[in-house]
Amino acid sequence: MQPLRSPYNPIHIPLGLVLWSIWFVALYGGLSVGCALAPPDPAQGQWTWLNGLLALFSLLTMVAMLGLAWLFQRAARDQREGQPARFVARLSAGVNLIGAIATVFVALPTLSLPPCL
Amino acid sequence: MTTPSNEQVAAQEQLHDQFNDVWGNPRGWKSLTIVNHTTVGIRFMLTGLGFFLFGGLLAMLVRTQLAIPGYDFLEPDVYNQVFTMHGTVMMFLFAVPMMEGLAVYLIPKMLGARDLVFPRLSALGYWCYLFGGLILCASLLLGIAPKAGWFMYTPLSSAVHTPGPNSDFWLIGITFVEISAVSAGVELVVSILRTRAEGMSLNKMPIYAWYILVMAMMIVVGFPPLILGSILLELERAVGLPFFEVARGGDPILWQHLFWLFGHPEVYIIFLPAAGIVSTLLPVFCQRPLVGYRWVVLAILTTGFISFGLWVHHMFTVGIPQLAQAFFSAASMLVAIPTGIQVFAWIATLWVGRPLYHVPMLWLVGFLVIFVCGGLTGVMLALVPFDWQVHDTHFVVAHMHYVLVGGMFFPLLAGIYYWLPHFSGRMPSVRLGKWGFWLVFIGFNLTFLIMHWTGLMGMPRRIYTYQSGLGWDLPNLISSIGSFIMAIGIATVLLDIVLHFRFGQKATKNPWNADTLEWSTHLPPSPYNFVSLPPVRTRHPLWEVPDLEERIDRGEFALTVIDHGRRETWGIEPLTGKVREIIHLPGNSWWPFIASLFIAFTCLGLLSKFYWVALVASIVAVLVLLRWSWENGAHPLAAPDARVQPGEPPLHSRTCDGPGLWGMGVTLLANGALYLALLFGWFYLWTVSPNWLVPDDPVIDQRLLLASAVLLSVVVLWQRPVLRRLRQGQGEPAALITCFVGTALLGALHAGLLLWAILAGDLAPRATAHDAVIVVMLVYSLAHGALATILSALQALRVHYGYVCKRTPYEPLVVEQFWQYSLAVMWITYCSVVLFPPTFGGV
Repeated sequence: MQPLRSPYNPIHIPLGLVLWSIWFVALYGGLSVGCALAPPDPAQGQWTWLNGLLALFSLLTMVAMLGLAWLFQRAARDQREGQPARFVARLSAGVNLIGAIATVFVALPTLSLPPCL
Repeated sequence: MTTPSNEQVAAQEQLHDQFNDVWGNPRGWKSLTIVNHTTVGIRFMLTGLGFFLFGGLLAMLVRTQLAIPGYDFLEPDVYNQVFTMHGTVMMFLFAVPMMEGLAVYLIPKMLGARDLVFPRLSALGYWCYLFGGLILCASLLLGIAPKAGWFMYTPLSSAVHTPGPNSDFWLIGITFVEISAVSAGVELVVSILRTRAEGMSLNKMPIYAWYILVMAMMIVVGFPPLILGSILLELERAVGLPFFEVARGGDPILWQHLFWLFGHPEVYIIFLPAAGIVSTLLPVFCQRPLVGYRWVVLAILTTGFISFGLWVHHMFTVGIPQLAQAFFSAASMLVAIPTGIQVFAWIATLWVGRPLYHVPMLWLVGFLVIFVCGGLTGVMLALVPFDWQVHDTHFVVAHMHYVLVGGMFFPLLAGIYYWLPHFSGRMPSVRLGKWGFWLVFIGFNLTFLIMHWTGLMGMPRRIYTYQSGLGWDLPNLISSIGSFIMAIGIATVLLDIVLHFRFGQKATKNPWNADTLEWSTHLPPSPYNFVSLPPVRTRHPLWEVPDLEERIDRGEFALTVIDHGRRETWGIEPLTGKVREIIHLPGNSWWPFIASLFIAFTCLGLLSKFYWVALVASIVAVLVLLRWSWENGAHPLAAPDARVQPGEPPLHSRTCDGPGLWGMGVTLLANGALYLALLFGWFYLWTVSPNWLVPDDPVIDQRLLLASAVLLSVVVLWQRPVLRRLRQGQGEPAALITCFVGTALLGALHAGLLLWAILAGDLAPRATAHDAVIVVMLVYSLAHGALATILSALQALRVHYGYVCKRTPYEPLVVEQFWQYSLAVMWITYCSVVLFPPTFGGV
């Protein structure tokens, strides 16, 4: 069995989408808690501290996933590794890339809608 | 290929006889003890068929009632019971168990294994499914069936608005059935990861196994929120703990969250294995590999995850902020993309292959047409304004049936026609098969295509009748006629299947020229699947090694010695498929049947409100399960002869990484999902409950809780070095007994302190949702502490008997995971109940 930190460990296959799931729950939970504790003035539209925080958090998550995708893709190109290991790395890279795309797509409404209406 | 001599044939038959002695199925009453995956899988499917016919009959009643306006064929109350039971039966008693049953039957055969990794768990799952389903269906015959819709929304399903046992049947019956779903989920995950053929690395795994792996993981994570919701709602109905009642600090929307946290992934739990059938069959009928294997794997994984981010799209009309709705709307549109990738992979496979239109292919093409339409209306419903317009109308009913019947039923029938020769050794009738398909296809579209328009004209769902003159008369009549045509089609298919057992032509070997290993077994298969376990070097073993079946049958490959009396299969390294150990599997047993029987008594006791009966039955059930666990690992009944052949790896019970470790891990994942759902409920109510009541003073002695958590930490820290030494092949029995007895005593003290904290506190769980949630969290921790204590005490006893020692270190490592989980839960509970409230305006 590959060590846990190895990019060829199959445990990493779902990593990108696990991160996406945690981000998604945090996004929805953060919005709900923000609206419950300190709801921004509706007159501000989408340009509120809460939207900004959620958008920034999403941006950081996306960058982290893109970084992971790059790391896994680099590992997948290593010809010294066997086919199964490279398959796992390539799959992990793809999952991270999809996670990044999904993060951007789902977070886009933070730029266009007020948070608590 | 040379013809075998008489001596070779005799030796081959003798080998098969030896295997039958160990693996054979008993008859008569003793057939209740069978645990073999082939039999259990077939039982799941036959029982699923029975429930399907029952659910279908209910659909016919619904359509008869709605055929003409003002019809009084069914009383309103009966109608409510009928449509609720139709949805419930089809979702919980047909769709999921049917797909699991097919997977239970196929997965070991496709992976080149002799059985699933926990066969007795499969049997337990089946009996829980059967008994739970029967209890649920019996309620309709008694006229006291659930009647609040298949998603049991509160407050309609609460004791105030639905008094009587109706909702209780749903909550208790479904929870009972879900034991089956989750146990099959755990079983399938571990089997796919750990018991494949030698050399079957992840990239060579049949695509169906990928689908089932993701489906099983989704069950493991997706079902627990509903189990929790059902327990909470039943506690509210039976004992008065107000989780969903606004006046006492609860919130009915919490039920919707918990239900749909399960309910939306459920759609994909049903769809993914069906898509797996499509991805398996299309390449066979095109006689070329699936286009884009890696893309499809990526799409399966993506679908599995993103489907968990859609649950709120069922709740767009409950008053959630627009921005939150937009998140879920976006995720709902996003999930169409991985599905689209699969559809394009299928079209590309058809494009580059030379499709042969046998009967299974008709069902596949029907699936593609209907499912794509259902997917498109799904994207429409993901748009919030459109959803507001058609919410709770027949449009949603039509969409749901397009997705579920198109996405699950059509591929299922394709699969049944495809694997029918495998089940019976005979071929079905082409003529009857085609008649069946066309009748179902036409009838289905007549029913549900029209229903889209009925919905767009504003007809709400769940009304038992309607006035004439609203424009709904003709479309309803057409839908009803269509549904009867569909029923005739299904009857034709059933007739074909029944007749083929007697009149069908005998199937040739591998009749469709398929590529996967299940076609290298006998038709129908023997209980051990393969007399010798072949290595796999390719994704398409039967296309590349056409004489594989003969070679397996001749015993040319591995694990052909069986005079030790063990049932065996390979345990492999998950990534590469390298053989690591021999997994010895348990044989037939009464324990699963008896355990499920007592769980059924528990349910009946709860339903009839004879709580003492329920308590006694549940204690007996736990005792039976513990007795069952005794025959495990190095127990002589589990491995009568522990010797292996020269050059073979050790038995799994003599290693530190047997399948039980993985099984416990995956089970704890399900358990953790349940606990996270409970935590979500706690924080959700704190944040948005409209009438959340916080006490002025602490309701529990925080020092007792802290002491209890510290004791639990000591247990885990004490065990760690002892078990590390055990892993390294050290550790004398006396030291092990001291450790396990000591940890059991400390564990008992921990549980005692926790119980004291609960009993001595000022908790008023019937007065406020706040206290009710705290009670559930503490009882959850208490149950874990108590169970861990019993398990450690049993370990001490097993060391005493010699079942656990440095040569057989397997079991304490499994129990250690449970202790660690209990510790994590205890501290999270402490932080949530004691440390969090002061930061949020509480005490």
